[in-house]
Amino acid sequence: MSNSHLSHPTPKKYVQIAIVLGVLTAIEVALYYTEEIVGSFTAPLLVTLAIGKFVIVVGWFMHLRFENKTVNRFFTGGMILALILFAIVMFERASANYF
Amino acid sequence: MSTAHAYPHEDTGVETRKLGMWVFLSTEILFFGTLITTFMIFKGKDFPGIKLTDVYDIPFTSISSFVLLMSSLTMVLAHNALESDDQEKTRVWLLATAMLGAVFLAGQIYEFTEFYHKGFELDTNIFSSSFYVLTGFHGLHVFIGVVLLLSLWGIGQRQNGLTLESGMNLEFVALYWHFVDIVWIVLFTVVYLI
Repeated sequence: MSNSHLSHPTPKKYVQIAIVLGVLTAIEVALYYTEEIVGSFTAPLLVTLAIGKFVIVVGWFMHLRFENKTVNRFFTGGMILALILFAIVMFERASANYF
Repeated sequence: MSTAHAYPHEDTGVETRKLGMWVFLSTEILFFGTLITTFMIFKGKDFPGIKLTDVYDIPFTSISSFVLLMSSLTMVLAHNALESDDQEKTRVWLLATAMLGAVFLAGQIYEFTEFYHKGFELDTNIFSSSFYVLTGFHGLHVFIGVVLLLSLWGIGQRQNGLTLESGMNLEFVALYWHFVDIVWIVLFTVVYLI
């Protein structure tokens, strides 16, 4: 269903979103410096934070959550294809190292 | 308050130029997806020569990342101002976005220069090549974005105002700029932090 009837956020809301993005970036940098404490959770946490920031910018700043379904499909399609490519190559790399 | 527009006269319900912009961005995802994948193949492997971890400066790059992130805020505020037909604010936010982009670019040039002085060069090894190609292409995209922003600002000054309906559309430039930002969100994590 199209979300084109939804209103775009107000400037105040955009500033709040930017503050959230700034805080997430600060957490990322803090995680980098506390890797010895956080241990093996560091990389998954960093990836999760990056995905969170990505979704916020695409959804609110690029207004994808307010856009037509067709637009969503094109963008998501590109993302899925890129992730499939990445997964295949990483699988090949891991296999080559294993054997 | 502004709302997103539906275009019932188009079969897709989306303005064709706008749909074209999203299709273009979709191809750009694949372009950067390929470069990131190539970089990840070589990341973590042992190559002769100085390593990236020996030369990079996380506090500096973190500030650059923050600057680019905030440029997305000024960009969306420019778009919002234009939707409210506030031409003065639109121009101010456009110029602020271009300036923040230029600061990011200056930071990248400084960073590359420092890396070269420390011996991490384009031809040091295949990993360094993949690093410079990946971050260099992102920098090129930022540069193109800054040129587009300054062009829009100039058009706004000369023509006494911008519109969302015709000409070089601020909305499409904004989409491009935010895309450049999301690519950096991924690169900052993949290249520098992990």
